[in-house]
Amino acid sequence: MKPVPSTRKTETPSMGQHSPMSRRILTVEDDERIRTAVRLALEEEGWEVEEAASGEEALEAFSRMPSDVVLIDIMLPGMDGFEVCRSIRRLGDVPIIMVTARSDSHDVVAGLEAGADDYLRKPFDPKELSARIRALLRRIRPDESRPIHIQIDGLEVLPDAGVVRYAGEEVHLTRTEFRLLVDLAIHPDRVISREDLLERVWGYDYFGDARLVDVHVRRLRMKIEPDAANPRFVVTVRGMGYKFQT
Amino acid sequence: MPDVTKTDVSRLGLGAQISVLFAIGGLLVSILLGGATLLLTRGQLLDTRGSAAAAMAVSNATRLSNQLTPESSIEDLPTVVDSLTRIEGSQRIIRVGDDWLVAPELDRADLPAPLVERLGDRRPGQMLATVRGQPRFVVGIPLTAFDADYYTISDLSDVEQTLDDLRYVLLGTGAIAVTLAALLGSWASRRMLRPLRRVREAAEAIAGGRLDTRLGVQADPDLDRLSDSFNEMARALESRIQRDARFASDVSHELRSPLTTLMAGVGVLESRKEELSPRSMIALDLLVADLERFNRLVNDLLEISGFDAGVAAVDLTEVDIARFLEVTATNADVVDLRMPDDARGVLLQADKRRLARVMSNLLDNAGRYGGGASAIILEMDNTLRIIVEDDGAGIPAAERSAVFERFFRGSAGGRRTGDGGTGLGLNLVVEDLRLHGGRVWVEDRPDGRPGARFVLELPLPEVDA
Repeated sequence: MKPVPSTRKTETPSMGQHSPMSRRILTVEDDERIRTAVRLALEEEGWEVEEAASGEEALEAFSRMPSDVVLIDIMLPGMDGFEVCRSIRRLGDVPIIMVTARSDSHDVVAGLEAGADDYLRKPFDPKELSARIRALLRRIRPDESRPIHIQIDGLEVLPDAGVVRYAGEEVHLTRTEFRLLVDLAIHPDRVISREDLLERVWGYDYFGDARLVDVHVRRLRMKIEPDAANPRFVVTVRGMGYKFQT
Repeated sequence: MPDVTKTDVSRLGLGAQISVLFAIGGLLVSILLGGATLLLTRGQLLDTRGSAAAAMAVSNATRLSNQLTPESSIEDLPTVVDSLTRIEGSQRIIRVGDDWLVAPELDRADLPAPLVERLGDRRPGQMLATVRGQPRFVVGIPLTAFDADYYTISDLSDVEQTLDDLRYVLLGTGAIAVTLAALLGSWASRRMLRPLRRVREAAEAIAGGRLDTRLGVQADPDLDRLSDSFNEMARALESRIQRDARFASDVSHELRSPLTTLMAGVGVLESRKEELSPRSMIALDLLVADLERFNRLVNDLLEISGFDAGVAAVDLTEVDIARFLEVTATNADVVDLRMPDDARGVLLQADKRRLARVMSNLLDNAGRYGGGASAIILEMDNTLRIIVEDDGAGIPAAERSAVFERFFRGSAGGRRTGDGGTGLGLNLVVEDLRLHGGRVWVEDRPDGRPGARFVLELPLPEVDA
């Protein structure tokens, strides 16, 4: 039996221990044994790991030296994981993965609303975690980065430059939000299913959690839509998915 | 669980019982009133007719005795009699000495013996008698001056006719009264049972998961106490379920944290496997396999406890069932996927995670006991059925419901050991389907070949084209 809900999509070969592109991961976890074991496992996958035992410690470490990815346990003493997530989100567009030990879906949605890019349930396979991190750090695929320039109704998307402007002003999107927008925008007026978006942006297979897409679309709309309740650009097509409307 | 209701008292419902009681009451009242009316009317009618007949008889007898002389014989009588006043339906018999003048349709034997006897003592009399099968009123008057008697026999069949009519009317009104009483009874019972119905609805709402359902204040003090007790029970239930759910959630956290350490630690060992001695490698393999199984067991147990505490929730989304099955079949290496052409594009309101687990558990089960699933079949008519078939030995008819029980061990006793299953998978299938309003069963393969055939049945949404 495969672990539910999601199965990893095998893609890029595992990064070697001596990968030249060693990225730094900040793991925020109060349980020392978990923290150490996860560090060892991530180092084994080739990542450089910095540990933080509390939210306060994590914020301090991050402001001292921003990491490439942040892994946050939701249940933390003192400042909780959601708060840490929001604070780090204010400091930058770094990919954030929330870790929850609870089975109810409330934590998941709350974590995503707080700005997380993806989530994992405990216990997780360290290889699965590694794959998730890789998916979030992945660059926009070459075939998508052909020089296109989308400009409608005051919205400007420049995939190559990684810039989005609305009414002439630059809009700050997280990497994931940006990739979601580009993925929709390079296929204007075409409906893309949640499953396809989940695969292209997050690297999940068909059984991934579609709420990731829904929450990110909601966040994206807050930033680029003149009226998020009546979206102009990213519209929902009931029962089918989303489309970028020109 | 002890059953506090007595079912042998009456098989009728409370409402029906009350209606029947009202109807019986209506019937009794109708009978009583009808009977009394009939009796009184009959007495009244007969009295009136009797006194009229008696008065007429007295007057006729007087006139008769005035016109008779001591020498008169029976031959003279007809002329005298013709002059007497006649009443419709009334006939006479006159005795003079030993001679009798009898109306044509009658015979002197028709006279009731007690009356004849009474007149023998020269006393007048009157009585009701049945003459030639008809009720008659007979009046007898002795003509004192002569050796003669004067009788009139009045027909009362018209009175009986009136009484018959009255009987029909009373029967009709009685029937109407009974019907009205039954209707009144059913209305009254519904009214009386309305608070009970509210209790029932509240209980059903709680059973259906709306744990915060409470009853309002009742007008009647007895009902108010019932409502208070009910609300108290509901509160206790709600807090207990919440406690259970919290406990499950706490246990979940407490078990998953060490599992995370274990999985990460074992992961490190696995990636450094080549550094281990052959014996350590075997030990690590055992550790990895059972860690995986333990992880599944914890997850399944937590899911089950969620179902038991009634806190299992569905995240309904639209699932493209054809695509879902295609992906499932591909992932499980099942080549034989059959579905009808019109299945494409059918969207099912379902919890994809749970549906995926249902399929994974069934395929897993087929892999473990049936040599792997040989076919996945989708059928659609009024409902939607997903069928998983395998080529294994099949499941004996006697075990077909037991396989869905928790930790079920089949007739191949103890085969659970070492098979890697948690013993909860099929039970979770049942629970997950129940959450979707569906069900699952196992049957023989229709092609007659050995193997198990698990059928998942889900309600199909209304098509709004």
